[in-house]
Amino acid sequence: MNDLMQPSFDVKDYLRLQMMPHFMCPGCGHGIALRSLLWAVHELGIDKNRLAVVCGIGCSGRVGAYVDANTFHTTHGRPLAFATGLKLARPDLTVVVITGDGDCLAIGGNHLIHACRRNLDLTCLMLNNEVYGMTGGQVSPTTAVDRLTTTTPHGNAEPTFDACRLADAAGASFVGREVTRQAPALKNVIKAGLAHEGFSFIEVMSDCTEIYGRKNDLGESPEMILSQKSDMRPEAFGNVADEPFRPNRLRAGVLVQRDRPEYGRIYRQRAAAEQAKAKAKP
Amino acid sequence: MSAASHTETAPAALDTTRGLNVMVVGVGGQGVLMISKALALIGQRQGLQVKQSEVHGMAKRGGVVFSHVRFGAEVWSPTIARGEADVLIALEWAEGLRWLEFLRPQTGVFIADTRRIVPPFACRSRRHGAPMAYARETPAEVLDKVGEGYALDATAIARGLGESRAANTVLLGVLSASMDVSAADWLAVLETLAPPKSRAINLKAFEAGRAWADAARGDPSLSFDAGFDTHVTQADLPDVSVRHTINAAWCKGCDICVKLCPERCLALNEHQVAYLKAPQACTGCHVCEWLCPDFAIDVQTTLGT
Repeated sequence: MNDLMQPSFDVKDYLRLQMMPHFMCPGCGHGIALRSLLWAVHELGIDKNRLAVVCGIGCSGRVGAYVDANTFHTTHGRPLAFATGLKLARPDLTVVVITGDGDCLAIGGNHLIHACRRNLDLTCLMLNNEVYGMTGGQVSPTTAVDRLTTTTPHGNAEPTFDACRLADAAGASFVGREVTRQAPALKNVIKAGLAHEGFSFIEVMSDCTEIYGRKNDLGESPEMILSQKSDMRPEAFGNVADEPFRPNRLRAGVLVQRDRPEYGRIYRQRAAAEQAKAKAKP
Repeated sequence: MSAASHTETAPAALDTTRGLNVMVVGVGGQGVLMISKALALIGQRQGLQVKQSEVHGMAKRGGVVFSHVRFGAEVWSPTIARGEADVLIALEWAEGLRWLEFLRPQTGVFIADTRRIVPPFACRSRRHGAPMAYARETPAEVLDKVGEGYALDATAIARGLGESRAANTVLLGVLSASMDVSAADWLAVLETLAPPKSRAINLKAFEAGRAWADAARGDPSLSFDAGFDTHVTQADLPDVSVRHTINAAWCKGCDICVKLCPERCLALNEHQVAYLKAPQACTGCHVCEWLCPDFAIDVQTTLGT
């Protein structure tokens, strides 16, 4: 009848149990995001041996290590570049990139826009906790204005980056966003992203409770997760250009889904045509 | 069947020309304001002054919505005082009982849908079959206390016509049988109020309500819903058995499950590890499992006990 009654999904089937419990801080939203990803993988019936998880550096970079699948811990900001090569060489794999806000937008910002432009069939999960958590809480591109971090002791003066609008503008054929509070909805967005043929960019609003939450007096982990607003409207996305970006009033759901030719398919067609041409030559 | 034939045969109990206070109550989303608008337009068509005031905005949460409609040769105040409503239309059973004291003691007409919308705070437990705190009065008991009363399952009638949301128009049809307003006026008002898509169903619902009222006047035993069961339980929730396990070695005591459990059945022990404090209250909703960042909670639900 509903989600509750469906044959239960056991997350332990998809985890490297010998590595548990994981290293993340109490209440960190990355665990919820990982669970939602594995839930989506389970519901789509993707074989673990056909799943590749590519991660960058940072708290989000460590998330992939717990997945009992083909995982790849890459250099800072470059998971999308590694994943591009992987997917082109092995189009049979489902390639998921787990990256963080700093990894994806600052260090790997260039790779993100070109991955969006290229539209290769990857699913990119950007776990946005608004801070560089692992290195001690420095300001990141998505840190909200006026927030305290170790590098902005008097409040962040930089405007905040809206990653979904960036991905949309760069041409991603699927853009989604969801909060960890709405885990089943997050699972559905990830599921739609995995099923979409082309580059899927999904921003997961996660919480950094120990460093960012504590420094900014945002409460303990339950308070932080409760503060994630649930009244988000996907249809409002696209006409909010004049509205300043406010982390607590985001548009969630599947924001953009457009039909664009998938790069891997075009690449393979061209390669086949060139090979045929080369063979035809005497 | 034409609606016009009823006005000639049915005796008009309410003299509209002398003024009328109508109160419409219900919960959000039922169409309280739609019927009060219809009544206001009817009043205007009779060349009377109309004042209408309402409290709305609770609609999204299934909260109470009420509306006062007053019409007469001259209307000064927009609100109806306690004990001065000539008609009380209740779209939800308990709301009807709640506002009963506004009805004129001997002569007031009470028209209610026996449909029950149980507010969240009336659920002591969300388990299957758990009793709920809800009005225990039967329609027969309530109708004894009012001058003229009709309690019908308007929602079932409307559902029979293909759209349960037209229950408000069924009640309007019941009221129309008691008023000295021509059927043509009612139909004209419904035509202007109902959006084109739902016009046909609204007219059908109106006719059904009017026909029901005519039948009930002929036979008072029909004026209440005899199939009303006062025992309200959570029967529509699935009967599940829950196996809730917490892996203490993985729990980091972040408190998310404790604070976000809708039944408040979890707690942290002295070692800052979550445990199931009230297993009997757990409904197996999986929220703790979904939101545990440490994969420490496993909830298995199976149908049946």
